Amino acid sequence: MLWLYLHFPHLLLDHLRRAHEAPGAMVIVSGPQQLVAQVCPQAQQQGVQVGMRLKTALTLVPDLAIHPADSAQETAVLAQQARWLYRYVAQIALCPPDGLLLEASSLRRLYGGLPALWHTLQQALAERRLTAWMATGLTPQATRLVARQGPEACEQEPERLKARVAALPLEAAGFEPRTRERLARLGLTRLGEVFQLPARELARRLAPETLAYIQQIQGLRPDPQTFWQPPHHFHQQVDFVREVEQAQGLLFPLQPMLAELEADLQWRQQDTDSLHLTLTHRDRDTTRLTLRTAGPEHRASTFGELIRIRLEQQPLAAPVVALALTVSRLLARDAPGGADLLGETTDLQEAWHTLLSRLQARLGDAALQRLAPEADHRPEHAWSGLPVQGRPAQPADSSIPPLRPLWLLTRPQPLQQTPVAWLSEPERINSGWWDGERVQRDYYIAQLPSGQVAWLFRDVLGGWFIHGWFG
Amino acid sequence: MDYAELTCFSNFTFLTGASHPHELAEQAMALGYRALAITDECSVAGIPRAWAALRESPVTLITGSYFVLADAPEEAATPCFVLLAQNRTGYGQLCQLITTGRRQAEKGHYHLPVADVENQALDHCLCLWLPPTADQSDLDSALACGRWLQGCFPERFWIGASRTLEAGEAQQLERVHTLAEQLASPVVATGQVYMHARECQPLQDVLTAIRHNTSVEHAGHLLFQNGERYLRPLPVLQRLYPAAWLWETVGIAERCQFDPGSLRYEYPSDLVPAGQTPAAYLQQLTREGELRRFPEGTPLPVQTLIRKELALISELNYEHYFLTLQDIVTFARSRDILCQGRGSAANSAVCYCLGITEVDPTQVELLFERFISKDRDEPPDIDVDFEHERREEVIQYIYQRYGRDRAALAATVIRYRPRSAIRDVGKALGFDPALVEQFLNGIDWRDKDTHWRQQILDKNLTRNPRIADQFFTLVGQIMGFPRHLSQHVGGFVISAGPLSELVPVENAAMADRTVIQWDKDDLESLGLMKVDVLALGMLSAIRKALELISRQQGRPFGLPDIEREDPRVYEMLQQGDSIGVFQVESRAQMNMLPRLRPERYYDLVIQVAIVRPGPIQGDMVHPYLKRRASQEPVAYPNDEVRQVLERTLGVPIFQEQAIKLAMVAAGFSAGEADRLRRAMAAWKSDGDLTGFRDKLIQGMLARGHSEDFAERLYKQICGFGGYGFPESHAASFALLVYVSAWLKRHHPAAFYCGLLNSQPMGFYSPSQLVQDARRHNVAVLPTDVNRSTWDHTLEGPDQQLRLGFRLIKGLSREAGERVSQHRPDQGYHSAAELRQRASLAQRDLEALAGAGALAPFSDNRHQAYWQLLGHERDSGVLLGEAPAEYRPDSAVALPVPSEGQSILADYASQGLSLQRHPLALLREQGHLKHCLNAQQLLDAEPGRPVQVAGLVTGRQRPGSAAGVTFVTLEDETGNINVVVWLATAQRQRKPLLTARLLHVKGIIEREGDIIHVMAGKLSDLSHLINNLTVRSRDFQ
Repeated sequence: MLWLYLHFPHLLLDHLRRAHEAPGAMVIVSGPQQLVAQVCPQAQQQGVQVGMRLKTALTLVPDLAIHPADSAQETAVLAQQARWLYRYVAQIALCPPDGLLLEASSLRRLYGGLPALWHTLQQALAERRLTAWMATGLTPQATRLVARQGPEACEQEPERLKARVAALPLEAAGFEPRTRERLARLGLTRLGEVFQLPARELARRLAPETLAYIQQIQGLRPDPQTFWQPPHHFHQQVDFVREVEQAQGLLFPLQPMLAELEADLQWRQQDTDSLHLTLTHRDRDTTRLTLRTAGPEHRASTFGELIRIRLEQQPLAAPVVALALTVSRLLARDAPGGADLLGETTDLQEAWHTLLSRLQARLGDAALQRLAPEADHRPEHAWSGLPVQGRPAQPADSSIPPLRPLWLLTRPQPLQQTPVAWLSEPERINSGWWDGERVQRDYYIAQLPSGQVAWLFRDVLGGWFIHGWFG
Repeated sequence: MDYAELTCFSNFTFLTGASHPHELAEQAMALGYRALAITDECSVAGIPRAWAALRESPVTLITGSYFVLADAPEEAATPCFVLLAQNRTGYGQLCQLITTGRRQAEKGHYHLPVADVENQALDHCLCLWLPPTADQSDLDSALACGRWLQGCFPERFWIGASRTLEAGEAQQLERVHTLAEQLASPVVATGQVYMHARECQPLQDVLTAIRHNTSVEHAGHLLFQNGERYLRPLPVLQRLYPAAWLWETVGIAERCQFDPGSLRYEYPSDLVPAGQTPAAYLQQLTREGELRRFPEGTPLPVQTLIRKELALISELNYEHYFLTLQDIVTFARSRDILCQGRGSAANSAVCYCLGITEVDPTQVELLFERFISKDRDEPPDIDVDFEHERREEVIQYIYQRYGRDRAALAATVIRYRPRSAIRDVGKALGFDPALVEQFLNGIDWRDKDTHWRQQILDKNLTRNPRIADQFFTLVGQIMGFPRHLSQHVGGFVISAGPLSELVPVENAAMADRTVIQWDKDDLESLGLMKVDVLALGMLSAIRKALELISRQQGRPFGLPDIEREDPRVYEMLQQGDSIGVFQVESRAQMNMLPRLRPERYYDLVIQVAIVRPGPIQGDMVHPYLKRRASQEPVAYPNDEVRQVLERTLGVPIFQEQAIKLAMVAAGFSAGEADRLRRAMAAWKSDGDLTGFRDKLIQGMLARGHSEDFAERLYKQICGFGGYGFPESHAASFALLVYVSAWLKRHHPAAFYCGLLNSQPMGFYSPSQLVQDARRHNVAVLPTDVNRSTWDHTLEGPDQQLRLGFRLIKGLSREAGERVSQHRPDQGYHSAAELRQRASLAQRDLEALAGAGALAPFSDNRHQAYWQLLGHERDSGVLLGEAPAEYRPDSAVALPVPSEGQSILADYASQGLSLQRHPLALLREQGHLKHCLNAQQLLDAEPGRPVQVAGLVTGRQRPGSAAGVTFVTLEDETGNINVVVWLATAQRQRKPLLTARLLHVKGIIEREGDIIHVMAGKLSDLSHLINNLTVRSRDFQ
């Protein structure tokens, strides 16, 4: 059996850096002590190393970009790599957090030898701007350990592969700290020296799992692998180190995602007519956008154009920290889009979406909204229009809402007539200093000569305005 | 029209009130209020500061507190109310209630159920009820709540009504009317004040956002609707409230007669035997001490001094303070805990007789002039240091002696500093937290205040200039705001009656510790005394060394047996041979010693104080050294200045001198000088010295001093800020310098053994201490299961230092002690026997084997370890049986460890090695060609290029040396001092910051006996020893 292992020394960084046109030096930081966990080549050049304290790293590279470690995110990113590799290799096993194991024996014939496969993979990695250290080996564990040591040359000669493993220093053998300490105290330095000790004697001195692990490296014990299955939908996510504030800024990172989607659809021999974009904000509900194409489609350029127009129409609600593209409606290329065998759309939900989508396309997104209260003292900020789709917003809080007119004018109108009756004490609103739309007003309810009951205010300069009408 | 504000939160209601107590006080004064109540939530922590501000003003300060109860009376709303103290008794009741609530909750919170209010005496407090709004409860429950509260405070109950102009106010006022009618209770106007001026609204909003862990943008209805909760001008109040409600405030204020200034603190009188006055008893104890201290009869000048001091103590009623200290010190003595007092009052003949200090009045008369100042109305301040490992015994003794209700630690108010302010305000303004963190990590705090603002702009924290402005303003405003209370390092307050009637007591984070709500400054402003019980590692080391000497000599050997003013001790110090010696062991001190060349005790007092930011920033070091070496004449402009500066050759060194100079040379009054002293102490946190600058410099110029000297004195005063080092403390420290140096000179084995047994402490690692010991001809023996105990010991007539188990990483103390306890007379014969007799776990045995402590059983460390692992599973079977002979496993032969492997193993398990230094090995292997070692460097010619290499044991960037980094390298012959200039450092950051083994090409420089290498090219050689676990001490 021949295995091939891809170790991604800074997978999360590659993933994050893809979203930037000119990424700077960047590291992943983990743990309560803020230690550097991953270093991009650029930072490495300036002296930053894995295991360094963040403070030291920042002294070396003051404008270093920092991202916290996130194992869930890392696993998702790893699966994302399995997705495209699946086009080249059928048997892939995920080795979280940062490696993929490929079964290579069966591929040698398909690609006309190991070197050709090796070359294909390297090219694919380069296209995706991914750093991966590749190595071959006779057992999954041995291959993994060798790959983690650094980039290796393509090799398939069994004896030389074995020698590579035996030469591994003990620190690189992936033992528990306690085992590593024990072996070091025995004066052992290389994995080969451990292999030479009699297994029975070793078994008395090390935990049974450790012995099993050593035997798996050697191939003396089975090490069954669970291979990855591609999901029945397309999903890809990009995370930003610096929040993206302009919709324009989303277009660049979208391109490789759409290219990936096109390749994926191509490989599946399928089309789609709806894309879902999920924009994650730091402390605000996510924005979900659904886009419909005119018909079944698979070209990245078409999708890209559609998204560009949509983003131009709709400014961002808040800075974006992550962007995900999901396609779950996959259509066979020969079937007519969106129709069942009888050629009729029976799904009501489906019909509703299509209607909304058409209305939105005709009238523009802003024309279709539903109302929701917002927690803000300023009347003009105390409500908002939400997209029609999506979950209903949570009620802001449970307290009794203040007395407000049902009809709030878009813009306060100057008061022309003197009220005939004052119906309330003043209510003072002074809030919103933080966003440049500060409100400093005293509000009154009053009856105008016309008989209408108006909501009036006097602003800080002494001017009088009508802001709404009571029924 | 008159008005008294009766509900007002200061910033001591943490993250809620947006003004300092003094700001509120000053505003109330400016607006012409009759009275101002500070009513922080379950706290009176803001009272002392408000009191200090209102002390001489017509505005009366009312002490009160706001409470929200933890539960509610039956079918009633949760009571929220303010209690105001009518008199001293009421104040005591209020403090008691706060204490009850605080003690029932974890640190920083309170828990007061209805039952506590019903059960505690509160009959001297007035109650202002703040009825719930329609949001919070229906009218019936509100009414029930009011009824209950009215029942608790009959005839002392009001309903508070506020006009904050917020939505729903009309309904609330209607409700107040209804409630007042139903309860037949008076209504009073209250402002519900959260800030002194309306302009603080943004700050208040930010505090609210921080408190709720959100940003102002998302805080929504958590924020107040407007900024009306401020101290309003009288005309505004008049417009908003019915006159009767306003009048009611004045009526209430008149019933509150409590003045915090009247708080008198009574020291416990338990210590004075019945029938004796405190003064007589103190006199008696002093006399007894005199007989002990001066068995040949007290010298006349000392007798006079004692008489003078006792008279002053009596006049100021400080007897109990001294008696309390004497009692604590006597307890420590009875337990053989070394201790030493310091501070101006500690350097007195009385304290010497009472055993509070060892500083002998016959030796340093100079110090005893300023004992307690009668003019300055300030309590005596004595810190007592105890052995660091045994201070807890003293603390527990104090708790036991006086009871938890009468003794508690003073608080330390933790305030916003630049870092925390930027982080929290940044979060509240919705900045990207990652950016804020990055920004904070990148800030260079040594660039003073103006700089971090510029750095923010440079760093693009925000691109919006309006937000940047708001950010700066808010960070500036929030700086110095209290965040929470923490415990003081060791300041005890002890009282005659229950402490909780004097000041509320609350829980500290540490179990079994309680703190009062006031900090050191508050205590001082109210004239209360505290006793500082501090921990000092050197005292532990000295006591341990003295014990070893006693054992060796077969008779007790104590501090009094140490010969004073021994020239051999000074000779050693003059050579800079001071590793391990108290206070003078740092690199800077070591460099100063050969220049200052101390010859007598008082020189040590100066030595301790001179290598500090004050004298360095004031550029006073060189003039002093020159004058000392008679290279510069000593002159005084007049006799007054001569008096202040004579003992330091006309150069101000100590904090006291700087202040005294401000008086005699710049014409500061006593009061101004005292304010200067306080500003200096507070300078780092929120004080500002620029206010004193002009007065100081103008004053000095007017009196004929040079501008240069004036400027330098001002800089020195700034340098003292935060690091103030007064002579009175230096005097006590100098004594310990001498004692530890004497021990090092005459009993090096006992000295190093004592130091090593008191780790962690001091400046050097055990490895460095052991190397220094060996250079002083102390034989050091390795840990050995058949020889060692937990602590290091001295063996045999040659006093060889045997390393103890305490160095071994991963070995538990209990296991280590069992090894020595159960050791048979003939020693252990095998690992199996050791395992069984000492009932060691596998882990402990492995740790011992890893440290080479099993050497008696096998000369091959690896093989011994292999055996040990092989027997792990047998251990259970063997228990209770005869010790099994160990069965050699001949099947496997492991390699004999190489020297390098052994050294690495030693470092890995003990952090030091008694084998050759790794550098010796590397040199032998030819890795360090052309490198001089530390010894060779001593004979090298100055100005010549050299190469050196060593393990990096220290990197230091002192604030007082602009941009210079000092690196200390260690090789097999000693330490090498490397100086790296800023430009060099910036170009070679990577090796400078990350190398553990550093190679330096540079130029040798020498000044007297001090040798430096000025670094040129730095190279990282860590790969040569990459497994070595020598940790460098980084001081950044």
